[in-house]
Amino acid sequence: MEIFLQQCVNALQWGSFYALIALGYTLVYGVLRLINFAHGDIFMVGAYLAFYISTAFLAPEGLFGFSRGLTLALTIPLTMIFTSLVGVTLERIAYRPLMRKGAHRLYVVITALMCGLVLENGNLALLGASRKTLPALLDKSVYDVGGIAVTNLKLWVIFAAVLVFFALHFVVTKTRMGMAMRAVSWNKFALPLMGIPLDSVIVFTFVLGSGIAGLGGMLFAMSYPVLEPYMGAMTGWKAFIAAVVGGIGDIRGAFVGGFLLAFVEVMVAAFLPSTFRDLFAFSILLLILWQRPTGIFGRPLISKI
Amino acid sequence: MMLRVSNLKAAYGKIEALHGISFHVEKGEIVTLIGANGAGKSTTLKALMRLPPPESPSVTGGDIEFDGVSILGMEAHRIVSGLKMTLVPEGRHIFGNLTVVENLQLAAWTRKNENIGREIHHIFDMFPRLAERARQRSDTLSGGEQQMLAVGRALMTKCSVLLLDEPSMGLAPLIMYDMFRTLKRLNADGLTIIVVEQNALLALQVADRGYVLDTGEIVAEGPAEDLLRTPEIKAVYLGG
Repeated sequence: MEIFLQQCVNALQWGSFYALIALGYTLVYGVLRLINFAHGDIFMVGAYLAFYISTAFLAPEGLFGFSRGLTLALTIPLTMIFTSLVGVTLERIAYRPLMRKGAHRLYVVITALMCGLVLENGNLALLGASRKTLPALLDKSVYDVGGIAVTNLKLWVIFAAVLVFFALHFVVTKTRMGMAMRAVSWNKFALPLMGIPLDSVIVFTFVLGSGIAGLGGMLFAMSYPVLEPYMGAMTGWKAFIAAVVGGIGDIRGAFVGGFLLAFVEVMVAAFLPSTFRDLFAFSILLLILWQRPTGIFGRPLISKI
Repeated sequence: MMLRVSNLKAAYGKIEALHGISFHVEKGEIVTLIGANGAGKSTTLKALMRLPPPESPSVTGGDIEFDGVSILGMEAHRIVSGLKMTLVPEGRHIFGNLTVVENLQLAAWTRKNENIGREIHHIFDMFPRLAERARQRSDTLSGGEQQMLAVGRALMTKCSVLLLDEPSMGLAPLIMYDMFRTLKRLNADGLTIIVVEQNALLALQVADRGYVLDTGEIVAEGPAEDLLRTPEIKAVYLGG
């Protein structure tokens, strides 16, 4: 039982990473009907940005010599801002021109895949194969809750994911920009006729999605401090699958799908040989999709003429 | 002169859909463009709104002037928010995942500090059916109600020029006449209207002037009552 509960905590932490990435996939898909396959690598970019920003600030080597707490407080928003700039840049220079020219969506998806590879290999070429290690930004403390060890970092990761979910839910359901995002997801054609600039809504979507992935990358790097250029690839794929299983285009789906995948993965690895992990995880997801092809929260698009 | 289109050519990719049409609209008029399927009526409206390709045509020649200034370099959303001209598109294109009220609120997006609530009530007075369905997802509305919402939503942009693409399509006759009566009333209150219709008889009955389009060219024009009496137009567009 204790092992099970212990694994639950681990699953919640992994689920938080998946959810933070899956939210970006689902936001961009919801608005543009585009699967932004570079998104996993945006997560990697977030982790690297967190590394550079925090080492620049942190004493004793950093330029500014700030304390850990101050460094952490500054690194979170700056990582999110700079990561979202990278996401917006991709939209601006890669996706938007293609869509303007009326390219089939397939080409845009392929472009997104290539953008991801460019980010990975650009990182490799620029920074070399040496692995970076994120400095510790948090004084680690371990709580013992009824025999289960919970670190403060894990709690922060889970708290951050839940907070992001509710914040995003608020933005999408209660704000003007969120209303415009929902409108675009249904009908892109009519939005300009309301006097709303479509490009602003798209850019805002990329800012949200990439910023959240940046936060995810930073939290991941804090939990598993070794960074490498391909760290976003597999994690990104899995988060994408989580978003699809949850029902891509629906933010609840991304959240639930992320945690679901993490639970299956962690539990399989805990009680079966760990080589079974991905096989079981993906087989279960296949079964879910077989039963509900639009995902858990997804609904088939019906439009009335 | 409010709107002047001169020798306008427009194309989808390499296929030219408008071969140089010229027409004008005065403030306070109802002008109709009639013609068969594929004549270029919708293309003209999309070109006027400067909606982006590939769904909409790109202008390859000629000019569109609003109050004497060319609008070719303007983006669609600026035409709506700046020039106060908008379009009720063919097929309505309401936001089905939003409620009726949200659809109306969205159209007031660029005017955040004004009293939107009062304006929504004004729309509800005009279309009481929408008031009954205010909190409902708009894709649950009937075709006629969706058309009311599409018109109401366009009015929420505070437009002074309203373009309508096939507003009668798919409507039951009674609802169709209601809709045109409402348009007539809005026009009496000062709204300039350009309406594209396949139901030429109905359109010419409410319009001040009309233009007849055929495969990308204007083949006839004049006051609506004259067009209604022209034998060739009667034969081709008004069912004899």
